[in-house]
Amino acid sequence: MDVLERNNVRVEGAGPRTMVFAHGFGCDQNMWRFVWPAFAQGYRVVLFDHVGCGGSALGAYDPQRYAALDGYADDVVQICRRLGVTDGVFVGHSVSAMIGVLAAEAAPDLFREMVMVCPSPRYIDDGAYRGGFSEAQIHELLAFLDENHMGWSRQMAPVIVGNPDRPELAEELTNAFCRTDPEIAKRFARVTFLSDHRDALPRVRPRCLVLQCAEDVIAPQEVGEFVHAQLPDSRYVLLDATGHCPNLSAPDETVAAMTGFLASPAA
Amino acid sequence: MSTTQGPADSRTSPEMEDLEDLFDTAPCGYVSAGADGRIIRANRTLAGWLGHDVAVFSGKRLQDFLNIAGKIYFETHFAPLLRMQGFFHEVALDLVRADGSTLPVLVNAEERRDAAGQLRFVRVTVFNATDRRRYERELLQARTALEELNRTLEARVVEAVEARLATEDALRQAQKMEAVGQLTGGIAHDFKNMLAVISAALNLTERRLRTGGDVAPFILAARDGVERATALIQRLLAFSRRQALVPVPVDPNRMIAEMVDFLRRTLGNGVQLRTELAPGTGQLLADSSMLENALLNLAINARDAMPGGGELVIATANRLLGVEEAAGQRVAPGPCVTIAVTDTGIGMTPEIAAKAFEPFFTTKGVGQGTGLGLSQVFAFARQSGGHVAIRSAPGEGTTITLCLPQLPAEAAGPAHDASGAEILIVDDDPQSLSLKVEMLSGLGYAVHLARSAVEVQDRLASGPGIALVLTCADMRGHGGRTLAQDLARCRPDLKLLVTSPAAGAGCPDHLPWPAPLDQLAARLQALLDPAR
Repeated sequence: MDVLERNNVRVEGAGPRTMVFAHGFGCDQNMWRFVWPAFAQGYRVVLFDHVGCGGSALGAYDPQRYAALDGYADDVVQICRRLGVTDGVFVGHSVSAMIGVLAAEAAPDLFREMVMVCPSPRYIDDGAYRGGFSEAQIHELLAFLDENHMGWSRQMAPVIVGNPDRPELAEELTNAFCRTDPEIAKRFARVTFLSDHRDALPRVRPRCLVLQCAEDVIAPQEVGEFVHAQLPDSRYVLLDATGHCPNLSAPDETVAAMTGFLASPAA
Repeated sequence: MSTTQGPADSRTSPEMEDLEDLFDTAPCGYVSAGADGRIIRANRTLAGWLGHDVAVFSGKRLQDFLNIAGKIYFETHFAPLLRMQGFFHEVALDLVRADGSTLPVLVNAEERRDAAGQLRFVRVTVFNATDRRRYERELLQARTALEELNRTLEARVVEAVEARLATEDALRQAQKMEAVGQLTGGIAHDFKNMLAVISAALNLTERRLRTGGDVAPFILAARDGVERATALIQRLLAFSRRQALVPVPVDPNRMIAEMVDFLRRTLGNGVQLRTELAPGTGQLLADSSMLENALLNLAINARDAMPGGGELVIATANRLLGVEEAAGQRVAPGPCVTIAVTDTGIGMTPEIAAKAFEPFFTTKGVGQGTGLGLSQVFAFARQSGGHVAIRSAPGEGTTITLCLPQLPAEAAGPAHDASGAEILIVDDDPQSLSLKVEMLSGLGYAVHLARSAVEVQDRLASGPGIALVLTCADMRGHGGRTLAQDLARCRPDLKLLVTSPAAGAGCPDHLPWPAPLDQLAARLQALLDPAR
């Protein structure tokens, strides 16, 4: 299967350089809908869905390949190779910031800059490191997912959300997150929240921007500061936005921070 | 929307007071959150569910009241959803109560914007979903159980069928043993008579030897007694042997004729046995020992129905089973053979007749019958592709008719046509030898005898017409198997048949012994005239 079809790749805009947007755990490339248009004038914009999410080919999901973030990173490399990306900009939200780190290490020619939106190299606390979650909490999350609690969404969405007068409501919900296979979402959650790639940060060669939100329960401020401190060449911006998705809740602030970073000369 | 909390102050109008009451006491939880996600106000219903004071909610976010999975899913799924489409509906989340326990809820959220499109606040409604969550969990469990059930269905069917087959096998054996028990009682005095004959002949022989007279008549009489007793024993053994159903071509007239003596002994003096065997009755495809067993069961039942004596008639006939009647009996239409057993006994009421074929149904006293006899007859008829009918009335006797499909003439072939072919019997057991002689002679073969392997060469030399050697596998000294191997090497023109009590599956020349006459005849015929 062609990687562009597999990852539901969408190419927009035009420019001498390519900007690749990677969504995090939950949702799909729609995460970037308020951000990417701001860059379509100066860049060739590439959007895609991780396998198992959004409009990707669910049949291409291979539990072996995606048992670690490296499988997702390899997909990024394949997409970029297919589109001839070199010296591009990688924009990764949440877990995809680390997927970008792994991709850049595997293929150093792909990216010159990386924008990490609410990144976290490890979610579980470890000694002095504060990841934001205790081991017990992450296991509570995984047990909760194993109980198939969220399973209702796919099995019962037509019943629960079904509104005969307004079928578009169900359609929107389904598009946004119910289309994710609950089994795959469960596995992606496991891979994401048990990952630990702190050791990869000092080896990152591209220039980086770390965007941190206030009051982010998934990637707390301490984690953003840790990432910034570990990266050899990075800029750290603490946004006014709260939560974990400034690309949605504060797109203007996000775009401004990115534009400022990309316009600034390399150190 | 007021941004104050708590009860309405003195400035509120009665309408406002009414709305405040509606907000606070609604059967669902209400939360109003600002554009920054912070809770402006929660109603008393939600506060009551969670065991908090309403003031606790102010300034917090909804995520603060979720369990860890809810926090993560809210941030990664539902907050983006709300931002992208302006609402989310009926999202299943768990709220954490003040005491640490969780409350399953369904949450709706909707953004409220002003005319300019600016986000003013977010209206959140919360429904208690305790019951619903339980149903969902039960539904998922039921689905899992159903999947498991389907997955193991095939294995369970196989297991059940195997158990059923094993039970049927045990039942068949039990039926045979019951018949043997009945037989033993009926013929014990026959054995006593035969032993008396032998004993008397031996006494007379002794006396005659002392006086120097001719002992030949007494030896002949003793031998006759021994042979009759041997035949009887063989018949009993044949009945009691555990074996699978092996349908073979059976000539019912011949089988019944051969059973007559034996049946007379079983029936005793009070019952007259008569046969009406229609000439030209076709052959059947059936397990011959089971058919014999069925006839024996019918005869025993008839005898017991005539405590004061009477007449038992066994009649055979050809019959064409019509389409309609066949459909009624759920069998195939076409030519069939009927074997009717009629007694002049007490008969049955319609109620008893209707139950007669049911297993364990018996009108006999405790210890006199298991009620398995007629059910064996019924099962046998069904297994052989036929059916069984009962006609009876109190005081008018009973006729039970077995109707079994006729073997097509081309498959049956003519009955045993030995044409005097010569067979050498090798057996060192005098009784077994005697039985074989009787059976083969009865089938029309010319018989030569050898009582050991050593004698075989002489017999073959003196009988150049011998076409087949029937040998016993377990002879003392030179074994029958070795003999068969030697013969196969030296005299490849000779046909061989080896009898042994042990199973000999896979040996084409093996015949389990003792064998019913039909089986012996069929094997001999197949060996001597394979073209037929």
